[in-house]
Amino acid sequence: MSQSEMKRAKRHLETTGKMKEMLPRFFMRMMERKFSNEPVAWCMVGVPPELLKAFDLLFEWPENFGTMCASRQVAPHFIQAAENDGFSPELCTYVTNTMGYCKLLKDTGEVPEECPLPGGMGTPAMLLGSGFICEPRWKWFQSIATRYFNVPVYSTDPLAPPWDVDPHDPRIAEHYLTLLREDLAGQIEFLEKHTGKKLDLDHLREILERSHKALAYWRDALALRKAIPSPMGSTDYFHAIIPQMYLVGDEEAVDFYREMYEEVKDRVERGVGIVEDEKYRLTWFGLPPWFNMGVFNYLESMGAVFVYESTYNVGDHFEVDLSDPLEAIVKRTWQRALKMHDYGAETMPELCNPAVFGGFTGSDFLKELVEDYNLNGAMMHLTRSCRAVSFGEVHTKNRLAKLGVPSLIFESDMADPRLWSDAQIKTRLHAFLETMEKAKQGGEIDEP
Amino acid sequence: MNHKKYTRQGNMTYSTLENEERIRNLKKETGKPVIGYLCCFAPPEMISAAGAIPYRITGEPGGDTSAADACVEPYGCTYVRNIFARALEGKLDFLDGLVISHSCDMVQRLYGIWTYYRPLNFSCMFNVPHQLTPWAKDFYTRELGFFQEYLENYTGQKISRERLQEEIKLYNHNRTLVRELHEMRKDPLPPIEGSEMLDLLMAGGVLPPDRYNSLLKNKVEEVKTREPKDDKKPRIMVWGSIMDHPALFEMIEETGGRIVCDDTCIGFRLWENEVPLTEDPYEGLKEHYFVNFQCPRTDRGPGPDRFNYILQRARDYKIDGVIGYCISFCDPHKLDYPDLRDYLKKDGLPMLLIDDNYSFSPAEAIKTRVQAFLETL
Repeated sequence: MSQSEMKRAKRHLETTGKMKEMLPRFFMRMMERKFSNEPVAWCMVGVPPELLKAFDLLFEWPENFGTMCASRQVAPHFIQAAENDGFSPELCTYVTNTMGYCKLLKDTGEVPEECPLPGGMGTPAMLLGSGFICEPRWKWFQSIATRYFNVPVYSTDPLAPPWDVDPHDPRIAEHYLTLLREDLAGQIEFLEKHTGKKLDLDHLREILERSHKALAYWRDALALRKAIPSPMGSTDYFHAIIPQMYLVGDEEAVDFYREMYEEVKDRVERGVGIVEDEKYRLTWFGLPPWFNMGVFNYLESMGAVFVYESTYNVGDHFEVDLSDPLEAIVKRTWQRALKMHDYGAETMPELCNPAVFGGFTGSDFLKELVEDYNLNGAMMHLTRSCRAVSFGEVHTKNRLAKLGVPSLIFESDMADPRLWSDAQIKTRLHAFLETMEKAKQGGEIDEP
Repeated sequence: MNHKKYTRQGNMTYSTLENEERIRNLKKETGKPVIGYLCCFAPPEMISAAGAIPYRITGEPGGDTSAADACVEPYGCTYVRNIFARALEGKLDFLDGLVISHSCDMVQRLYGIWTYYRPLNFSCMFNVPHQLTPWAKDFYTRELGFFQEYLENYTGQKISRERLQEEIKLYNHNRTLVRELHEMRKDPLPPIEGSEMLDLLMAGGVLPPDRYNSLLKNKVEEVKTREPKDDKKPRIMVWGSIMDHPALFEMIEETGGRIVCDDTCIGFRLWENEVPLTEDPYEGLKEHYFVNFQCPRTDRGPGPDRFNYILQRARDYKIDGVIGYCISFCDPHKLDYPDLRDYLKKDGLPMLLIDDNYSFSPAEAIKTRVQAFLETL
């Protein structure tokens, strides 16, 4: 595994290159505060970062820590420690990566030196879970607070209506919106209690305004990827989501995404693609293999570029009225649920799912995606340890086949490299390129 | 040893295949529609009160899941894939309706896929919060209201308060009788084995509550007359994922253990409490099916207190050891296992975990592990 040629990823945009300075600057600021013993909240994606900023609370995302450990090739060290403690190898490797970190930290009293950042994630003062996406995202924190750090926990539970219930029916909307509103109120009460601070709604509104400005640039930059040749690829995409976790609400993030938008726009105007000879345009479903992000560059070297990703639409932008900032947060979540319904999702619409549009398999959506982005194929990463994100891939593949678009489902994981083999992956990728070529020439797709 | 002995040809009288035959006959006999349900959050009392036959869908251990592979990923709960494969093969065609509650992720995910590839006359997903906040409880109560509407629209029969309360009483009587049998299992030489008990509980998912009451009543009377056998064996509690086939219980018994209680669904979890008889029946249903129903898919807060009831049961039934059973990819149980194991260990209770892909095989390997565990007790 350590022999993989695909560990390193090359990005194409100058803006994402700037993150090399921006992120360490941010992490240094955070680390200084951690070292002065400011409390840190560990949070699950789905907890609004704007709210945490309004409390001026330090926060960490164990899921993001998992991606960092994976890309620095140290995740197996932590995953193994968790497995030795009794956690099943089938569990989400973001979970086991964090559990291993906690175990080693608790046993030795020191932050494991393998951590990608000095000081690691520190020690949590509180845990903010979320039922967004999957149940491990609150059970994970339940277990951390049981066996490693006895700290308070608050988990939200953003449910959404199933695909065959009309969310535009006012009774249904109110049914779900009440749950979302009350959950948020409970979250704020929890934060006020454990930070000793009162939420300043005006401050929250200002943060949300900056956040939404940044995310609008992000949305617009992504839409420009419909251009031929595509001005931006997956290595830039997956890297550029990090500021959405830590920096949204800051002017720095507005500047970053504006610059990114301007750069992508400029590339489109000048007709600059990420590869010289763009042969195949692909969409990516699922989580990426963080330990081998060079797989995207490998495909690019054969003229295959990714123009859309189904995951990590964490900061997707929705137009909401920010005058009541709490209602805006609720409506933003609800808008996601509505979007999925309006597209006729069949898989997993019952959770307000901020990060997974792979479960979003309505025929209109797929058809639009194929037409708008001129897709030739789809690659689906079937992550053994993350069923939440890979669920629906076989179904989506079936639906895409009906639209004449071939897909490749390949198995591996987002953080655990043990399932990866360069030789096998390459064989499958080459075969898939041939399938796409055949489909481009008007050939039949074998799959149902 | 051929594992199929356990999965196909055991001594069961209420196996999935036999129950499916029963439900087909019942449907013919009564002319009522059959509504299948998975997991226990949508009350079968309401299905009955709406004039339909509730049927608890169960799997066929070790069955072929290849039909499901054409629609869902191989990485997913084998139990759910097993049931879905059977639906795709037309083996559940006696179902007129389907109710899936949002119990665990995988069951919830099944809903859209099932209804897309195999639509039914009636289908509904009963959404269930994971938290036990006051507003989550209110949400569950509103779900009961929507569920009632959907059922009434489908069967055309109104669910009156009185009718619903009648159904609750009937089902509660089932629970009282089951608990009477469970009480006898506290005896130093219990008159009924775990495998026999589980088989009996399987009947509760298929028989109408009045018929089940007769069956249970006769069983209680008959078990009371049994002569105790003087064979002391290690007393075992089984904990874990859905257990709808006695194969594992039989293996433990054959290896020299005695299962005197469990913490599983369709076992104790389903029968330990009665639905409180409240003026507004929704109140009682909410308490029973949501608040008090012990499944790790519901958040009962951090800390080991969430396992207190297991320890209490272990004491009540004088347990020597716990055997855990986890079906592949069963996140709620797999995430609880290390915490539970450590909690029980502090109290001197050892635990063995069996990981399985819902095939109870290879039987010899499982039995060897069980035997080694029993020897340590």
